[in-house]
Amino acid sequence: MPHRNPLPPVSRREALHRIGSGFGTLAAASMLTGTTQAGTTQVGVTTSPLAPKLPHFAPKAKHVIQLFMPGGPSQVDTFDYKPLIAKHAGERPGTVDRKTLRNTKNGLFPSPFGFKQYGQSGKWVSDIFPHTAQCVDDICFVHSMHTDIPEHAGAMLMFNLGHLQPSRPSLGSWLCYGLGTENQELPGFVAMSPRAQPRGKAANWGNSFLPGAYSGVYANIASMKPDQILRDLKNPNLPRAEQRRQAELLAQLNRLDLEREQQDQQLESSIQAMEMAFKMQFAVPEAFNTESETKPTLEMYGKSEFAKGCLLSRRLVERGVRMVQLSHSIDGYDIAWDTGHGDIEGGHARLARECDQGIAALIKDLKQRGLLDETLVIWGGEFGRAPTSEGQKGRDHDHYGFTVWMAGGGVKPGFTYGATDEFGCSAVENRVHVHDLHATILHLMGLDHERLTYRYSGRDFRLTDVHGNVVHDIIA
Amino acid sequence: MPPDVMPPSDASVAHPQRFRNSLAWFVANCLWITAAQGADTQQLEFFESRIRPLLINHCYECHSGEAKKLGAGLRVDSQASIMRGGDTGAAIVPGKPDESLLIQSVRYETNEMPPNQKLTDAEIAALEQWVTWGAPWPDEGPTRSSDPEQGYDWKTMQAHWAWQPIESLTPPSIEKGARIKNPIDQFIVARLREHDLKQPAAAATADLVRRCFIDLLGIPPTPDEFSRWVTGIHADPARQDQVLSQMINELLERPQYGERWGRHWLDVARYSDTGGWSQDNRPHPEAWRYRDWVVSAFNTDMSYNDFVSRQIAGDQVDSQSAIGTGFFALGPFYSSDGGDPESIAQAKSETLDDRVDTFSRAFLGLTVACARCHDHKFDPIPTQDYYSIAGIFNNTRETETPLVDAEIQKAYHDHQRAIRETQDKVKQIQKQAADAKREATEQEKSEIKTWQDKVKELKASAPPKYDFAHTLEDFGSNDMKIALRGNLLKTGEIAPRRFLRIVEGEERQHFNQGSGRIQLAEAVVSPSNPLTARVIVNRIWMNHFGKALVRTPSNFGTLGEPPTHPELLDWLSAEFMKSGGSIKSMHRLIMNSATYRSSSDFHEQAFLTDGDNRLLWRMQPRRMDVETWRDSLLAVTGELDTTLGGPSIDRIVDSHRRTLYAKVSRNEPQGSDDFLRLFDFPIPRASAAKRTSNVIPQQFLFMMNSQFMINRAKALSQQLQEQATSDEERIKLAYLLLYGRSPTDQELVIAAEFLSPKATHSTNRWQQYCQVMLSSNEFMYIR
Repeated sequence: MPHRNPLPPVSRREALHRIGSGFGTLAAASMLTGTTQAGTTQVGVTTSPLAPKLPHFAPKAKHVIQLFMPGGPSQVDTFDYKPLIAKHAGERPGTVDRKTLRNTKNGLFPSPFGFKQYGQSGKWVSDIFPHTAQCVDDICFVHSMHTDIPEHAGAMLMFNLGHLQPSRPSLGSWLCYGLGTENQELPGFVAMSPRAQPRGKAANWGNSFLPGAYSGVYANIASMKPDQILRDLKNPNLPRAEQRRQAELLAQLNRLDLEREQQDQQLESSIQAMEMAFKMQFAVPEAFNTESETKPTLEMYGKSEFAKGCLLSRRLVERGVRMVQLSHSIDGYDIAWDTGHGDIEGGHARLARECDQGIAALIKDLKQRGLLDETLVIWGGEFGRAPTSEGQKGRDHDHYGFTVWMAGGGVKPGFTYGATDEFGCSAVENRVHVHDLHATILHLMGLDHERLTYRYSGRDFRLTDVHGNVVHDIIA
Repeated sequence: MPPDVMPPSDASVAHPQRFRNSLAWFVANCLWITAAQGADTQQLEFFESRIRPLLINHCYECHSGEAKKLGAGLRVDSQASIMRGGDTGAAIVPGKPDESLLIQSVRYETNEMPPNQKLTDAEIAALEQWVTWGAPWPDEGPTRSSDPEQGYDWKTMQAHWAWQPIESLTPPSIEKGARIKNPIDQFIVARLREHDLKQPAAAATADLVRRCFIDLLGIPPTPDEFSRWVTGIHADPARQDQVLSQMINELLERPQYGERWGRHWLDVARYSDTGGWSQDNRPHPEAWRYRDWVVSAFNTDMSYNDFVSRQIAGDQVDSQSAIGTGFFALGPFYSSDGGDPESIAQAKSETLDDRVDTFSRAFLGLTVACARCHDHKFDPIPTQDYYSIAGIFNNTRETETPLVDAEIQKAYHDHQRAIRETQDKVKQIQKQAADAKREATEQEKSEIKTWQDKVKELKASAPPKYDFAHTLEDFGSNDMKIALRGNLLKTGEIAPRRFLRIVEGEERQHFNQGSGRIQLAEAVVSPSNPLTARVIVNRIWMNHFGKALVRTPSNFGTLGEPPTHPELLDWLSAEFMKSGGSIKSMHRLIMNSATYRSSSDFHEQAFLTDGDNRLLWRMQPRRMDVETWRDSLLAVTGELDTTLGGPSIDRIVDSHRRTLYAKVSRNEPQGSDDFLRLFDFPIPRASAAKRTSNVIPQQFLFMMNSQFMINRAKALSQQLQEQATSDEERIKLAYLLLYGRSPTDQELVIAAEFLSPKATHSTNRWQQYCQVMLSSNEFMYIR
């Protein structure tokens, strides 16, 4: 065997060792920066996997709030106004004669809801979203979304991890991997929903093959207790002073051990992680406790469970959490918007009522606190629904075209991009695949989706796999 | 670059925000790159990132070697063919996009290509830019083309170290001044000396005893064991080595050895108890039988060839060996959520990918799954080879193998049939009434009642389901077709079931006995296959030293790392084969070396030369994995339940059994998963080559607040109270139990201060102290 591995150049980890002598290298280490596997640059305390890292280039946004609408909200009953459907009601023109999941063969079915124009941009919005309608001038609508398959589980995974099976890390995990997070006392990625986790559950916020530190932390906002958001957050017995004493003893013993071992970065970082854990016990319940909010704020959001999630989302990004994924659900249904199969009018009206006020409040609240500029809010489901009917008054899945909207975080406000055909069935103009949306989200966060890679199982994986084009036209 | 933009950390990206129009961005980006880094490389990178994927996705279906029927005689899958063009002439005029047919076509000026959907403006702009540059194409000359097999320059690619036959080399001779206990030390010391580094000192006996126990059993020695061996070793300096060897032999005979080393293999086998998710939900209630089979294989020192063969095709030996095929049978089985054809095909292709990926990485250290959509980009593994292996699993399905006599099976099935038949009687009567569109008569009602009672009775008296294992069986013997770009709905030529060309050479045997698994197993363990022995020997080394000789233990390909000690790896592999594949012999060989018995002390000078300790200038200190840590906690508090085997345990943190017995899920985290994953237990969705070791704050929340730690602290505190009379003795006992040493004066002072009633009113001082001692780094590290 002729091949012999030469000693490699000094790695970053070793360099860190070299600049310090014995105990106390952390302070020096914190002044160094170095390139990580993600291609981003680590700053500050270098040893925590969640330490903040500099992006590939100047970001437009620092945080993401994803308002996920599992089950597939209908585009033509919400934000993609198609008056021609009513004119051709009952007909089945070639444009809409496409295979749906359940092979429905019916004709066009007009939206049961009225539409009005709002704002400077004159955007048409369905009557079931009266509050969100007030924010259209802050919103960038993408009407030309499309995805690979019309099945919930796969399409939801596509939307949240860019792959049809649960074998890849989620968007939030990738963001934490690439960027770390700003507040070390809170998780970097929080997923929330009332009552039911979206279908696919933890895969939607999971880390898959990325290190465990990048996994989302889930909270059920209907039954949540702020001091139990994280496992073992609270000591069942000891008062704070006793805990402090205990923490200090552990730090003392670990420091002695480190002195004996002379140099070990992992031992050093463990002392720091322990201190952080101590602080987390108080920082996490504080972040999830909305009692300190003013009455006008609470009233602006309203009382629905989803609205509570919206308010918590604001509190979390305000405190530096990298990404929040808030999924809609009522009645414990894991694909809430799928009630559209049987009854668009009843199902969609109720779902919209539950989330509309909270969504609008979130946008206004972020804006008035100056957070909207750095926070990208994304609304949408895994696909849309066909403009033709299923049964008498329902709609089947439609993955050929659907709407996602975004606000803040560097997207053009009061802007509409792409279009479906005249009946709202398929994306035809400026089509945007979910991979393109992911590439764009990463871009807004300062990450090049082709460079944010992780070597696993012999190859470099990306959120966008081998796909994805940044939609530059929607970037402000 | 605009002034508001930070310089990119890598010069290959220009910040695009200034350019609103994507065409402008493309051009500007390209020009900037050209100026910055020289045209060629950047243009070729542009080709690879923008142009080639575009051609593959939009044109290959009709215009490549993959096309079923070539469109207009044009191929765009190589530079030569694109320049040659098709029926209507050259597709490209280099430097002149407007005159190039290809550009005209994508603009929909002449032809309209692609016919189903016009390319985006950005894509067209990229193609124009590329033609303007003269359509640069990477030199694919001797090494690659799009034609499978002919595409690689086999001669050149065969030079890679991993494909070479295993050579049993003579260990280098070492001049005096080194501790040489066996040839391993000669290889290691020779390399250290090349770099002017010293052989490390011998480890302190106490450290070494603890290291050996934890390495082989995953639990530290009890104080009795500890003093027995430490005293024995110190008693006669001349016999130290023999005593240590004796200790190692004794440890290898304990059943805890198989529990510890079986778990290492279960990482590789991506073992889990449950699917439990809507698209991967086959229940595997008896998965643990495979886990126990692995543990037992290690304990009985099953030859590695048998170990491998039975996991691939044990069902063709006997029912006990069949349990080994749980290696595959317990893997994910993806399904579609709604019956969409694309989704069904994707699910099947993903399932096959798991089988090929796990098979090739686990046994061969090869990433064959990289060739699922295209020829492997770095190793000589054509897509056809992927489907040659996938085809074997395409003729294989999961089944249940009974582990009891036929009579017991028959009794069970007869009883179940009786239940079904009785239920049918109920249905029959109900149907009579329903067919006649009338209510059931009183007579019928009474009959229904009778039969229903009978069903209840039968169910109550039914024998429990007999023991069985989840295994594999063959159900066909057909070759598969290549799936173009990984899409099973678009197939290409046949991929005969056979082994990899890079291992077996050009002339390959067709695997035609059933699915071909038995022939596949033979090929894997064939002495002419140099990968199998190297891969397992490397894994064993890794689990003794923390780092492997090949630091990418499941990737021996060109993208993996070359071995730090290639000659040593070969020598060990040859010894391993000579021993008939005895893993226990390999442990003895390694652990009897002076290299294994080295101190883990830090040396500034060595560190500056070799910061990553590739040359082994010291024993690498290691943080315990989660199983070892939890088991050791239970062991030192005297609470560990050492029962062997059996069904998995839902919530391991509430149990005293070894962590190995936790029920693990590859999907939704269940009772034990959150705890395990908190400490870097790999999610068993795919084969794990090595553990990561991350320090995160939530681990300390567990140490400070979890009931598990509080309970351990309680037990330890009680033990100290019972076994020692003074506070000082208790502190000393704690140090001995946990760390295998006496406390220093300083540590005694610190402890006394913490425990002093003056310092606190807490009545739980000892328990709090114990919890800290158990949470310390010293406990968690192996040195």
